[in-house]
Amino acid sequence: MESSNFIIDFLEWLMSFERDALILAGSAIGAGFAMIAGIGPGIGQGLAAGKGAEAVSYNQKNAKKSTLVMLLGSAVAETSGILALVVALILLFMNPLVGVEGTGLVLGASAIGAGLSMIAGIGAGIGQGYAASKGTEAVGKRPKLQPAIVRTMFLGQAVAQTTGIYALIVALVLMFINPFV
Amino acid sequence: MDFGSRILFEIPIFGGMPFTETIVITWIIGAVLVGLSIIFVRNFENVPKGVQNVIELIVEAINDLVAQTMGKDKMGFAPYIGTLFIFLTVANIVGLIGVRPPTADLNMTFALAALTFVMTHYFGAKRKGLGGYLKSFAEPIPVMLPMNIVGELANPVSLSFRLFGNIIGGVVIMTLAYQGLSAVSGMIGLEAFPIFQAGIPIFLHAYFDIFAGVLQSFIFVMLTMVFIGMAMD
Repeated sequence: MESSNFIIDFLEWLMSFERDALILAGSAIGAGFAMIAGIGPGIGQGLAAGKGAEAVSYNQKNAKKSTLVMLLGSAVAETSGILALVVALILLFMNPLVGVEGTGLVLGASAIGAGLSMIAGIGAGIGQGYAASKGTEAVGKRPKLQPAIVRTMFLGQAVAQTTGIYALIVALVLMFINPFV
Repeated sequence: MDFGSRILFEIPIFGGMPFTETIVITWIIGAVLVGLSIIFVRNFENVPKGVQNVIELIVEAINDLVAQTMGKDKMGFAPYIGTLFIFLTVANIVGLIGVRPPTADLNMTFALAALTFVMTHYFGAKRKGLGGYLKSFAEPIPVMLPMNIVGELANPVSLSFRLFGNIIGGVVIMTLAYQGLSAVSGMIGLEAFPIFQAGIPIFLHAYFDIFAGVLQSFIFVMLTMVFIGMAMD
């Protein structure tokens, strides 16, 4: 009984704040959570960089091709981090929830949810970075097949991005077309 | 702090159509590119000299890229791909002259990604016939149909957001950096002389404007070619 009173006490304490304070507090937490997505591209691009160095080491003549493929793959792997940054920047500088009619607690929680949703970018970042690393390795081994390898790599990375896009859609819905107000 | 594109003027038709910075800067970039094209194409000679060398280099590079990525039977796309590449590179780099890049506007990048989307499905359906093209979504197993459809819809979203996110990230960071540097100048009493803003932002510009700008335009163009090529094969 005491524990449930604690939760109710906490919620009542939260709702005693000004409406805008709750929304801005939620936005701050959400913006921070969103940047946790940086883990994914960090690991993925590191994988790609490692394989790029390896590819250059055993085929120095075609170092430019390997490096180009590594950069292309890494730039695509960066997308999840960029999407998370966009959500965080929207929450910080162009906050869409402050002017919306609705309960402060619900809107604040939506902001936290939007930030948490972008953590899904970790998977896409690591996966796309792994694809970039294998693509770089393959181009190092068989540089003449670079166009075909790059096409397959891009295609695979585009498919791997889909769950990241789902997360972005949920975050955008929570911020701009909030169904709870 | 508002990082959006400012509305510069409104035309009073249809209840006031706003014209933003994005649109006006795009007009200027278009006018400059068209003007340069007209000037450089005036006296073509068989043995190229001077600027014609550079132009031929660019055109050959783009033709090779299209031939390698899409295949030699699809060289008809080379003019569009070349235009897209040159326009995107210039649009991403205008941050160097203190102008807001038009690609920092989601409307612009989504329009270009929508172009890619329409081209992909139009030429795919044209090459394979409408029935054959629609059937290819149910490959390799019919149960993959919803996932293939969502995957196709995710393509323009991720194309547009990738370019938009990279460029707007650069815009935000450069704005904050310049404001921070002017605050530092203010703190030591040199508000009228923006000393710190003269040399330090060069590295930020080199990364965000030049490197990220050129790389992102290259990625956009490569993905466009890959999507169209794969839809037609």
